[in-house]
Amino acid sequence: MEELGHLFHGFEIALAGWNLLYCLIGVTVGQLVGVLPGLGPTTATALLIPLTFGMSPVSAIIMLSGIYYGAMYGGTITSVLINTPGEAASVITCLDGYPMAKQGRGGVALAIAGIGSFIGGTVSIIGLAFIGPALANFALRFGPPEFFSLMVLGLMMVVGLMGKSLTRGLIATFIGLTLSLIGMDTVSGAVRFTFGNDHLIDGFDLVIIAMGLFGITEIFIGMEDLSSLPKPAKIDGFMPKREEWGPALKAIHRGTWLGFLIGLIPGTSSAIPALLSYSLEKKLAKDPSRFGKGAIEGVAGPETANNSYCGAALIPLFTLGIPSSPTIAIILGAFIMHGLTPGPTLFMNNPDFIWGVIASMFIGNTLLVIMNVPMAGCWAKIAAVPPKLLYPLILIISILGAYTNANEIWDVGVMLAGGIIGYFMNKLDIPMAPVVLTFVLSRLMERALLQSLKMFDGDILLIFQRPICAILLALAAIMLIFSVIAAVQEKRKMFASDSEM
Amino acid sequence: MQNAGVWAGVMFLIYASGMFWQALSLKYYTPFGPGPGLFPRWLSGMLIVVSLLFIWQSIKEDVITFRDIFPTNKAFVNVASVWGAAIGFMLILNFVGFITASSLLLFTLFIRGYCWKTSLALAVGTSVFMFLIFNNAFGLPLPVNMWGW
Repeated sequence: MEELGHLFHGFEIALAGWNLLYCLIGVTVGQLVGVLPGLGPTTATALLIPLTFGMSPVSAIIMLSGIYYGAMYGGTITSVLINTPGEAASVITCLDGYPMAKQGRGGVALAIAGIGSFIGGTVSIIGLAFIGPALANFALRFGPPEFFSLMVLGLMMVVGLMGKSLTRGLIATFIGLTLSLIGMDTVSGAVRFTFGNDHLIDGFDLVIIAMGLFGITEIFIGMEDLSSLPKPAKIDGFMPKREEWGPALKAIHRGTWLGFLIGLIPGTSSAIPALLSYSLEKKLAKDPSRFGKGAIEGVAGPETANNSYCGAALIPLFTLGIPSSPTIAIILGAFIMHGLTPGPTLFMNNPDFIWGVIASMFIGNTLLVIMNVPMAGCWAKIAAVPPKLLYPLILIISILGAYTNANEIWDVGVMLAGGIIGYFMNKLDIPMAPVVLTFVLSRLMERALLQSLKMFDGDILLIFQRPICAILLALAAIMLIFSVIAAVQEKRKMFASDSEM
Repeated sequence: MQNAGVWAGVMFLIYASGMFWQALSLKYYTPFGPGPGLFPRWLSGMLIVVSLLFIWQSIKEDVITFRDIFPTNKAFVNVASVWGAAIGFMLILNFVGFITASSLLLFTLFIRGYCWKTSLALAVGTSVFMFLIFNNAFGLPLPVNMWGW
């Protein structure tokens, strides 16, 4: 019960002065970007990083993680009321949420989604608080070979679960891995692939790359069609019918565990648990024909699962230092900027920070449920901002965000180039999330591989003599085989969309 | 040559080959252990293989033409106007200052959906507001012209 004491201390930190305000700002921005179809948590997190330079690390991460889980709540509102998902995890909510809204039951759909999101989010944070320290303790036994094996597994998950085809996933993965090699090699000090350009000595900045690939690409795609979104449906009453409570609560229960388990796997995305939860609910329903026509379980399950996923997805970051999604990769970048090293030593060396952030997530979830259920109608009106006004504003804010990163026009150019490349990648169905994830992993992988090779005197096969490495690499091999089989059987289309734009 | 997939594959191949060629000039192994060329050589080598596979699939299985993926007429002009305006913004920013460069960029985009008077007001108003927020409130210096804006 040592964790409980730490958690109470975390609440003292999270509730202290500015931290509470930053939590409120974070979840409000998250809610806003979730509502706005042109902006996602990855872009918003990347944009706000420069503003956190003057903050303490705990305040900065409280705000940035608030954006991450706040966006999951916001995306639901537009899915239900205007049939337009604000972010990828809420795509599935449209299927039953919008029919409910058309039947005049939009308020009920939002209420059950809010309740499910709160339960899922809270349970996963409890999991983070209690599993995190134990996992971190276990990970202290990891040496460079174990970390290398773990990253290979993460990489295989990314390749296996993202994108329409295996080849496209691999292309994106290797582009991310190789882009990260540009600049000075931190192990040998050699300058690589800079072509004499001084700007490239420090390599590309993760935040700039992510803003280009996610934010700017989304603006380019959005500019193709500047027609306004439909008006939101009216909300009358929030209470589900008496007979609906039972199936809805069961769906919430299943969604919580499904989201949590998937969140623990590096390389997955929040859209996957939502999708699986929907399929599960449909399979378990007595009358599956109700799905697609306004079944309450079709909203409750997926919405719970994607929020539960969010808390659990922070566990690999906090305990192993491995990001599981593009937004988490940006948060990892923020950790490093604030002088923190994510990984097993974080719980030991920075307890105030880690428990403060965990406690803030309980507070943030409570704030979000208050902001969502009674105020859903107000948020839906924000989604009605016309794209012809919205996209230029997002563009100039992105440009300012990129410029203020190092006060150089170079970063703006890199971001715009990233946007143009991302636009073409999107058109060719090449997923962008693996580029950002592997961009972060590449340097860590290289260092772990070189250290391992040194330990084994150049014989990499000795890695299989270490039990943890052997298990992790075997799992990676199984994942690869699974991906190849799925590619052959063309069963990958369900993972085609990029998540957390 | 209307196959967009093949062109994209060729681009990936050129990028990967360039990287592989550069990686050959870096040491693969040193007396102290693995060198800076080891990881890049493997990664770029694998990207060459995947690029070739992508080209093959684009020809044989999954043909995507430029017509399938590119927007037509107005939609394309909208997207191209953003690219052009953004490049223009980068070229003139350090000479004319943030407010002027940003106003021009935003005007080019707003004019796609609003009349010129509204576009001008929105562009200048937004630029001045952003300048005041970032430059004055956050203390993040933005490029200015000889008049200080």
